[in-house]
Amino acid sequence: MLTIDRRTFVKASAMAAATAAASGSAHAVSLHVLNNQPEGSSLTWQKAPCRFCGTGCHVMVGTENGRVVAIQGDQKAEVNKGLLCVKGYHVGLALYGKDRLTTPMLRKDGKLVPISWDEAIDIIAKRIADNPKAFAMYGSGQWTVGEGYAGNKFMKAGLGSNNIDGNPRLCMSSAVTGFLSTFGVDEPPGAYDDLDKCDVAIMWGNNMAEMHPVLFSRLVDRRTRGEKITIIDFTTRRTRTSEQSDQVLYFKPNGDLAIANGIAHQLIKNNSFDKDFVEKHCNFRQLGAKPDDKTPPDMLGVPMTFDEFAKAVEPYTPEKVEELSGVPADKIRMLGEMFGRRDLKINSLWCMGMNQHTRGTAINCLVHGIHLLSGHFGKPGDAATSLTGQPSACGTVREVGTLCHLLPGGRLVANAEHRKEAEALWNVPEGRIGDKPGYHTIELFKRFNTPTDQGGDITTVWVQVTNPGQTLPNLQRNFREKKNLPDKFLIVSDVYPTATTELADLILPSAMWVEKNGMYGNSERRTQQWFKMVQPPGEARDDCWQLIAVSRKLMDMGVEGMKDKDGKWIFHTADKAGVEVPIWEWPHYYDTNVDERLFEEYRPFTTKKHKHLAPYSEYVEHRGMRWPVVQQPDGSWRETRWRFSEFDDPFVAKGKGFQFYHSVSKDDKALIWFRAHELPPEVPDLDYPFWLCTGRVLEHWHSGTMTRRIPQLHRAMPRAYVEMHKDDASRLGIQNSEVVTVKSRRGEIDLPVWIGGRGNPQPGEVFVPFFDEGKLINLVTLDAYDPYSKQPDYKKCAVTIVRKP
Amino acid sequence: MHEDPGLSRRDLLRGRLLGQFLGRLAQAATNKVQAVQEAVASSAASQAKPADPDPTASGAMGRRLALPIHRPPGAIDEVSFLAGCTRCNECVTACPVGAIVHAPAKFRAAAGTPMIDPHTAACIMCTDTPCITACKPGVLRADQPRAMGVAWIQTMACLAHTGSFCTVCSEQCPVPGAIEVHACKPTIRPDACTGCGVCANVCPAPTNAIVVMPLADRRTRSSSSGHH
Repeated sequence: MLTIDRRTFVKASAMAAATAAASGSAHAVSLHVLNNQPEGSSLTWQKAPCRFCGTGCHVMVGTENGRVVAIQGDQKAEVNKGLLCVKGYHVGLALYGKDRLTTPMLRKDGKLVPISWDEAIDIIAKRIADNPKAFAMYGSGQWTVGEGYAGNKFMKAGLGSNNIDGNPRLCMSSAVTGFLSTFGVDEPPGAYDDLDKCDVAIMWGNNMAEMHPVLFSRLVDRRTRGEKITIIDFTTRRTRTSEQSDQVLYFKPNGDLAIANGIAHQLIKNNSFDKDFVEKHCNFRQLGAKPDDKTPPDMLGVPMTFDEFAKAVEPYTPEKVEELSGVPADKIRMLGEMFGRRDLKINSLWCMGMNQHTRGTAINCLVHGIHLLSGHFGKPGDAATSLTGQPSACGTVREVGTLCHLLPGGRLVANAEHRKEAEALWNVPEGRIGDKPGYHTIELFKRFNTPTDQGGDITTVWVQVTNPGQTLPNLQRNFREKKNLPDKFLIVSDVYPTATTELADLILPSAMWVEKNGMYGNSERRTQQWFKMVQPPGEARDDCWQLIAVSRKLMDMGVEGMKDKDGKWIFHTADKAGVEVPIWEWPHYYDTNVDERLFEEYRPFTTKKHKHLAPYSEYVEHRGMRWPVVQQPDGSWRETRWRFSEFDDPFVAKGKGFQFYHSVSKDDKALIWFRAHELPPEVPDLDYPFWLCTGRVLEHWHSGTMTRRIPQLHRAMPRAYVEMHKDDASRLGIQNSEVVTVKSRRGEIDLPVWIGGRGNPQPGEVFVPFFDEGKLINLVTLDAYDPYSKQPDYKKCAVTIVRKP
Repeated sequence: MHEDPGLSRRDLLRGRLLGQFLGRLAQAATNKVQAVQEAVASSAASQAKPADPDPTASGAMGRRLALPIHRPPGAIDEVSFLAGCTRCNECVTACPVGAIVHAPAKFRAAAGTPMIDPHTAACIMCTDTPCITACKPGVLRADQPRAMGVAWIQTMACLAHTGSFCTVCSEQCPVPGAIEVHACKPTIRPDACTGCGVCANVCPAPTNAIVVMPLADRRTRSSSSGHH
């Protein structure tokens, strides 16, 4: 067999990479260096979480002469144990695209001209001071914890405005409403450890092999160790995940609601649900107006009895579910039996397939519901876990609360008590925080793209760390109308030119990833920390500094909100001797660790919902820790893997077994919801006969602004395409690679057809990835959204495929 | 965007040397691959000797150094090719992707003749073969096989073979059936592979997992024997 051992090979590879680095060609070849550091190398190695997805892999970053020159998987990291995906191995190159933004630029007479930072900060402060209510911030799950916290405080405590939202609205907000409706508190109870312990893994519209490859490897690698795992793939399209699955169950778009109800029906019909668990730990809920209330149904619902629940799921017989979803009746029976077995450990996993869904809250609740009903909950391997797409969607946006309806630590702006607590912690006068949620993402951008005198009451938007010009649905309506509205002003902080900077009036060059201190929080509640390792290029500066400098300028201009009750600036920072550090001046920004200072100010917010965090210094030592992190009698800090389970969660009372201590029904019980199967807002018809689903590919992350500048990744996946079924193609006379027009009621783009490609849609469906800035599929997508989470549906709308003349 | 994969000839040879040790591949390979490996082993062995700064220097080593050369598609046998090629440059200018270049001095007698360095710029296997059409002396011929060489995957560097997921080589391979994927792992079928080098150009593995070798025993096929 192999006559070269791994060690020799690894050494050879490391040497090759080091040689390339030394010869100055490091950025033409990979930065990756395998396990062994070559002798005589002067590289400095430091840990950091990967810049890309929400998996939260750790990498070791090798720097030399002020540049990142090598990347390796971090073997000390529990998440990835040294493994990386193809993006992770090249993450260092994300810093070194040739067109990094290096100077602030203002649009004058249609042309971008360089200006100084002082001018840029002045312009922003003036726009805000002129009309603070017409100003909004839009960020993302790529904000570090400190940045998101500073932005949230700046807006909500400083300007008294809740018009701050983030792209997790487009990404995770249905998972949030699902957790809130079920458990009364956000984020998954389980952890990645469930992947190591489950007998059955169910992918709910989740192409994990492509989107979370390191986690999928962690799962399927168990087979090579002789362990038996069964993977069930619910999907509308054959993918790489399907290739590794034992059962591939194709369903019609939106059919997932019927499937989940069908499983609940089987559990009750077979009398195989977990009576003891349900009796002790669960209540039943449904949508409905409260008896004394005329407000429309909300996401907390109204109680129902077990009998009522049983009656509600009764119509979802296997045959009926087959009719609604396309999944064969005997497969529904098989799933019902599987969930009915106590000896199996079942881990449900999902991401955008369940979240980007006009019934996203409903399907999230239903999946939690079948796990609770069958007692497949809270034991290692038994869990329903949502995966995130961004490195800190959880850590920053969901926990720090940088959404228009949230305050830090799981508080709500609409809740008087929560506002009072936040005002006390921020030491700002009572009443400073607005009592109504601000505009959620779609509403915010609709108003920004509507003439000011026609209800478009948002006139200035500051975008940081994201690319709405590519990722908003129905782009023409929600982003591009702004072009014809001269009084609107778009400020964009970014690292590269993007589809968003294209329409920006002011562009601010930002530092990224290891060019700044930062903290992220991944899908499994793991808070991670890293230090700045290299200088940002040119005049690029930290996003957080940009916010702080604007806040200081506003205070100097006399905007009262920038001071707390004692007249101190809201970002006042002192050194150990108590002397103020002028962090608003860039040369002094790193005189102290602003990231640590903001984190320690944020920490007290986290205890309300039992999301306790350890002191900053603990995260410096660890490859992330999963909250709640609680101090032990011996002074050490202990993380929690399974929340609500007595054996692991320190907040569950002794003898309870399980305790849902943030229960919506206030009796320590979780809620099992009934939500009916409903049709989506747009279904294919004679004019638009195909379902369009959009998504990602392995090589590119998010809108591709970083990964498309990494030559290895760009070459591997250079442009977008439309996948279609071979029967549809031959019926329409379409050849592989032929360029066709994908057209909806909202817009159209031309794309080459890929038949038998990486994914294979079912007949009547097509798939287009969204990474390609040159092929904006979001001109075509629908902006209908879930009524509770306000998350749009990028996974299904009606299109037609037109051959070019 | 930087498109240059930055691999020097030397890196390539290092990769080839490494390839020698991958016994499993050698077992699986066809005679064609073995022939290539033997040829490379001998040339690599001579390369491995103390550096010869002037490749045009005469001497025993120089005579043995007959590097197999990666010719454009449709090339006739090497002896006839060298005798017939007029170095007219027509195939170089005809190539739409700039894959055909002039052989550097180290190829001795072959210096200046057209070749492909598949690790720098791959042949994209044009169906209308403009290089062959452009070849006036007829050393690139439509009745000759298109195969220029053969690629193989160094599985220890391949993402798909080492616990991750990747099928980029098979997706972008222009020759149907040359790279097959089973259980998410690509394998190259040497009998179908033409050695165009597209796979090596697009391989995103941190250490490029694909090595492309020129054909070592290229023969002129008589017209009557038909196409490859």
